[in-house]
Amino acid sequence: MIDMSVDIGGLRLKNPVLVSSGTFGFGREYSKFYDLNSLGGIAVKGITLKPRKGNKPPRIAETAAGILNSVGLENPGLYGFMEKELPFLKRYKVPIIANISGNTVEEYSIMAQELYNSVDAIELNVSCPNVREGGIAFGTKPELIYQVTNAVKKRIGIPLIVKLSPNVTDISEMALVAEGAGADCISLINTMIGMKIDIENKRPYFDNVVAGLSGPAVKPVALRMVWQAAEKVNIPIIGMGGISTWRDAIEFIMAGAAAISIGTANFYNPYAPIEVLDGIRNYMEYSGLNRIEEIKINRGVKNYE
Amino acid sequence: MEREICSIVSNDRVAKDIYKLVISSKSIIKEASAGQFLHIKPSLNYDPLLRRPISICKADLAKGHIVLLYRVCGKGTRLFGELREGDCLDIMGPLGKGFPILKDKKAAVIGGGIGIAPLLELCQNLNSPDIYMGFRDEVYFVDEFIKHSDAFFLYTEDGSRGSKGYPIEALARNISSYEVVYACGPKMMLSKVKELCETNSVECYLSMEERMGCGVGACLVCACESSEESYYKKVCVDGPVFNSREVKFDDRYER
Repeated sequence: MIDMSVDIGGLRLKNPVLVSSGTFGFGREYSKFYDLNSLGGIAVKGITLKPRKGNKPPRIAETAAGILNSVGLENPGLYGFMEKELPFLKRYKVPIIANISGNTVEEYSIMAQELYNSVDAIELNVSCPNVREGGIAFGTKPELIYQVTNAVKKRIGIPLIVKLSPNVTDISEMALVAEGAGADCISLINTMIGMKIDIENKRPYFDNVVAGLSGPAVKPVALRMVWQAAEKVNIPIIGMGGISTWRDAIEFIMAGAAAISIGTANFYNPYAPIEVLDGIRNYMEYSGLNRIEEIKINRGVKNYE
Repeated sequence: MEREICSIVSNDRVAKDIYKLVISSKSIIKEASAGQFLHIKPSLNYDPLLRRPISICKADLAKGHIVLLYRVCGKGTRLFGELREGDCLDIMGPLGKGFPILKDKKAAVIGGGIGIAPLLELCQNLNSPDIYMGFRDEVYFVDEFIKHSDAFFLYTEDGSRGSKGYPIEALARNISSYEVVYACGPKMMLSKVKELCETNSVECYLSMEERMGCGVGACLVCACESSEESYYKKVCVDGPVFNSREVKFDDRYER
């Protein structure tokens, strides 16, 4: 009997396939394609204390096997989310991960405290490249990751996930800081900072100049970072970054991820999470594996350094 | 909304960079209405990655055919241009809010360039509207429209066919005869149609376009300026057809 359940820092998921914040709205849109209860969990669109209008269009540019986005955390705010969006998701049995973003440590704490009775886990977004304040400013400075993680952890009685930015020199340092500050789990990677230039008009294509790169193009980088983080921390890792197929998912699990998350693939293939889930199950069946933890490789063979 | 693998009946060039694609559909066609769009994967691999939103030009329920009119203008549509009879496409749809069909009102329909595409199904469903159309130089598909029109006004920028200039000029002269105006075309044209209709208190529906991601309202990239200052509208689910009073145009389109 195959058991696909996994533990992500105290939260038991019935399978390791999550969907990433910012790529799944608040679940409504994709509930038309399949039963949301099939998923291991849902990380909802990033929310901020106050509603945000988001960045001025254009907000997307396609790149080779990827996309650049500059949405800028458009969201209905903490209370808009709790009143208008959360009741819909609560109709399902799927674990809900609230992704929060603040301008100050205090804002993160207030949001976490307001939310923790209503959701299954909190994911700290300290890595959004598309807003001027907060966001990535927290995620690239170890002392700020420590402060915000520590402050939020003290206020909540549910698992705390810290979503790390790939836009750092040493991902394992950030992972260790999050772990040391009390994170129950880390998720990585958020988008990589990129840009596009409008050569006709001779200016940056996006109003915010830079934008977040995601999709299959970033997968090798994401995989490398999951591997490196897994070398250093003992807390579980949610691996993400360009996962589109079950083969990608198996690679991330082999790199050390306890669970994986589907992001950009939702945009071009709404059934991607279900296809990945079925693929992992078939792989386990074919390989004679009964638990996700049995999907492993020999970590002793390291040529990457 | 369905996801369907549709086979191609035909894909013919009708003008420079303009193609008419006919696909065979069993499920999508049943729900399709004027102004809605299909979200089509141009390639089975990762480049290009995203689907392309293409508006429904005509839905022939009896034959089970959907006609799409598109302009080749990038990587994705270039691949569409290479499709042959019998090839298959991964299609999601129909998506978005289409045109309200106000049969009892005297209607004008105005289209510019490839923006004429979603207007054909609309014109078929209205009671012989007056149709205004503008093209840069080469004119296409107008015979299809003339069949469904009461009066037909044709403009080209270079004056090679019809009158020289833009169809908005004729619409402006006749605006007092209409109770509703439907439009699709370049943003500059839409912005002028909106202004004209609102000045004359004529109900007006605009089909908008914006770079799109998921097509179902989850990714928030197809934001368009809303008349409500505090938030953007999503072209994919709040539109693509909007009442003109719901949307606002950026100054950069006023040029």
